[in-house]
Amino acid sequence: MNREMIRLTVNGDPYELLASPRQTLLDVIRGPLGLTGTKEGCTTGSCGVCTVHNASGEAVLSCLTPALEWDGEAVTTIEGLETSGRLDEIQQAFIDHHAVQCGFCTPGVIMSARAVLNEHPSPQMDQINDGMSGVICRCTGHIKVREAIRAVGSKLDRRV
Amino acid sequence: MLLPAHDYAQPGSLDEALALLNASPATSRAIAGGTDLIYNMRGRLEQPELVVSLRRLPELQGVRQLSDGSLRIGAGERLADLLRNEAVQRWSALAGAIRSVASSHVRNMATLGGNLCLQTRCWYTNQSEEWRAGRGPCLKTGSPDCHALPGVEVCVALNNADLAPLLIAMQATATLASAGGRRELPLEDFYTDDGIAHTVLGPGELLLALTIPPPPGPAVYWKHSSRTGLDFSWGTVGASATMADGRPVALRVVLGSLTTRPLLLDAPVRTILEQGLGDDAIAAAQDALRGELGALTNLYTPAAYKRELARILLKRALLRLRES
Repeated sequence: MNREMIRLTVNGDPYELLASPRQTLLDVIRGPLGLTGTKEGCTTGSCGVCTVHNASGEAVLSCLTPALEWDGEAVTTIEGLETSGRLDEIQQAFIDHHAVQCGFCTPGVIMSARAVLNEHPSPQMDQINDGMSGVICRCTGHIKVREAIRAVGSKLDRRV
Repeated sequence: MLLPAHDYAQPGSLDEALALLNASPATSRAIAGGTDLIYNMRGRLEQPELVVSLRRLPELQGVRQLSDGSLRIGAGERLADLLRNEAVQRWSALAGAIRSVASSHVRNMATLGGNLCLQTRCWYTNQSEEWRAGRGPCLKTGSPDCHALPGVEVCVALNNADLAPLLIAMQATATLASAGGRRELPLEDFYTDDGIAHTVLGPGELLLALTIPPPPGPAVYWKHSSRTGLDFSWGTVGASATMADGRPVALRVVLGSLTTRPLLLDAPVRTILEQGLGDDAIAAAQDALRGELGALTNLYTPAAYKRELARILLKRALLRLRES
């Protein structure tokens, strides 16, 4: 079994680490990199709590992709959203709209919400629903989440 | 849980990938988006000794419009990228079918070829390794017994490839590549009735590209599942017609997810071509389904439900063709 050195940029920081074919991107993020904001949930692609962004800011499931596939690529995790101690506007919107209850799924839900806004800065409801269909919150539900996303989207509308 | 132990190779060209797969075809698997393979490896449904990455192979990328208006789509194209492609967007049924696959998260990873090669599933193989251990292995995991349908000799797991029915209806052609060369075949001939060897891909062979001729008339697609988002389908229908004076003069209708291979319908289509798209003709076409479905299983949904769903999917597709 061939372990290989991979270069990975996570939240703007470059890393070089030894990864095994047995490890997923999630295993590497949570293990050697110690970025435990990203959670492991179903590991089957159904719950979305492991969601991170690829270099294009798209939501991908870190539990369903081998770490070795990401050699040379850039990833953003929930830890990478805030800048100089200031929360991303979608993170603040989740607080303002009480879109969090137990919080376990929240990193994946926020990364999914951010991805919706990356693609559609003022998303329509069907775009929100489609972009959020890959994550499940079992306690708060998705209503408050949609309100938070819409709030950020409509803020953008007002700026125009 | 860590994935099962295996070697990993990231070849730089298609030829290199095919040579690697050809060197040990029985124990090698190709990975593109990974959303199906990694799921299956984690559940120990697949334990390859070598995983060959197709991620960076330019030969599997690209969407090209050919001189006859056909689209040639590389099997490694991500579903999310296809949805952004203007040529794909112009074929609204195809775009709709792609959008129906899983979630945006999965479509940001999964590829066209991966969806078409999706492993067949049943409620037994869908369980965890520990759960399956309680019943012992099955036809697919190495025993003569099927737990889903005791007594069958061939695996009857369902083919949930959501894109197959519409692409077959649209007369897509599959291009396969192996170390020995390339071959082309109609997509309906890509699938078999065996849930284990459910495609005709030979040892070390890959799906390279799909070629889809321009629709001669309206094309429609419908996916039925327990939720709109994410879930595997309980039934899908794809249809493509050539219309003259409001009547189809050529028609292809394909049902998916009900059986091990997508079903290209014969008798119901003949009924419609003879009688048109009136209510009576549609009802007659529904009745003509009886001989087409074969033995349906109770996988995920009861056989009686599947029989009824097939009638509804057919009717829905025909009504949409009529309205178009």
